[in-house]
Amino acid sequence: MKEIVVPGEKVDNKVESYVFKDGDSLYSMIFGVLDKRDEYGRIVPLNGKYFSQIDDYVVGVITEVKFGGYVVDVNSPYDAFLASRRKYDRGDVIFAKVANVNEVRSVSLADDQKLFEGELMEVSPVKVARVIGKKNSMLMLIKEKTKTDIYVGRNGRIWLRGGDIAKARKTILKIEREAHTDGLTDRITEFLNR
Amino acid sequence: MKLIKDGKRIDGREFDELRPIKIEAGVLKRADGSCYVEWGKNKVIAAVYGPRECLPKHTQDSYKAKLTYRYNMAPFSVDDRKRPGPDRRSVEISKVSREAFERVLFLEYFPRTAINVFVEVLQADAGTRCAALTAASVALADAGIPMRDLIVACAAGKVEDEMVLDLCQEEDNYGQGDLPVAISPRTGQIHLMQLDGIFSEEEFKKALDFAVKGCLQVHELQKKALKEKYENIGEVYGNE
Repeated sequence: MKEIVVPGEKVDNKVESYVFKDGDSLYSMIFGVLDKRDEYGRIVPLNGKYFSQIDDYVVGVITEVKFGGYVVDVNSPYDAFLASRRKYDRGDVIFAKVANVNEVRSVSLADDQKLFEGELMEVSPVKVARVIGKKNSMLMLIKEKTKTDIYVGRNGRIWLRGGDIAKARKTILKIEREAHTDGLTDRITEFLNR
Repeated sequence: MKLIKDGKRIDGREFDELRPIKIEAGVLKRADGSCYVEWGKNKVIAAVYGPRECLPKHTQDSYKAKLTYRYNMAPFSVDDRKRPGPDRRSVEISKVSREAFERVLFLEYFPRTAINVFVEVLQADAGTRCAALTAASVALADAGIPMRDLIVACAAGKVEDEMVLDLCQEEDNYGQGDLPVAISPRTGQIHLMQLDGIFSEEEFKKALDFAVKGCLQVHELQKKALKEKYENIGEVYGNE
């Protein structure tokens, strides 16, 4: 059961994320969707920036070449640093893992690989989970039907190459638009089969 | 000029009646959050950017996000062209509005970043700072920025010795007092309050009471504007 909540709206005492306590009650901090599927509810934001979490895989763009490594734009208010022996130029697109986020929100990346050619697109970071699907189900469905090589970064950046890229893009944008609705997997399957 | 006739105001409203208000969230594609408000003859648009990198770097705060709020009136928003750029009044409104939001946004969650709020008044008819604040609140929520509440603002005033809610331009220009107030609807806490005029203690209490009641009504419209944005999308799928 899903419900849209706004900041300051009172929610059940069993809700877990994006809430704050005032007195004995819990209130939503954000404009989001309250999902009351099981015993505990969760609030998922409808919009927001990407903030790096350790072990996230992200699609980044090299913005500066420094002595020990590179400064990478990960579509976040906080830039990331990649200490790597590999040679990159400004503008290169890489796929890497967030290795660490320290107390001042500085991010370090690791396990980097360059993504050659291809195209980039961006979706709202809060909708990425839906694009990937449970156990990658949604992503595998898109890749199978369009034969496109796709790398999805948790930061909302998606790299695509080959296959029916146009269809893959349209599908991803459709998922982003309808991320908060039910029955999406069926509609996407039908859309891809057209 | 007679502002009150036969128990009604010049625009026909009751003493405690708000002007018609329309609020729409998410109207600007490039902003992180936005909101358009029509309040009587006022038209304001708010845009929010952030949290984003705080530049220039020396203005960064290591412990929290830096909030900027810019209230500006477009040259065409008033009868006599307003010269572009901030004037003393705009700077003051920007300051007190920013301070209101600083009390409700969870700025500590985003150290070293900036959250920039811009509100442009496209058409003015008294009560623009309230409409601006109301719009900015919705825009901040639309941007996904966490806050303790959606703050809302409304003004009350004194016109020919009567306390009235939501002054229009004539009432503001020829009346005896204007009291804009911004509150947190959940707690009733006051985050902005200014008074232009002379009120007795009784009159002040009555005006404040009117303003708070007005705020609560407007808050319902704020919530509706946000919730509506997503309720419509659900029905449109399959229309490529």
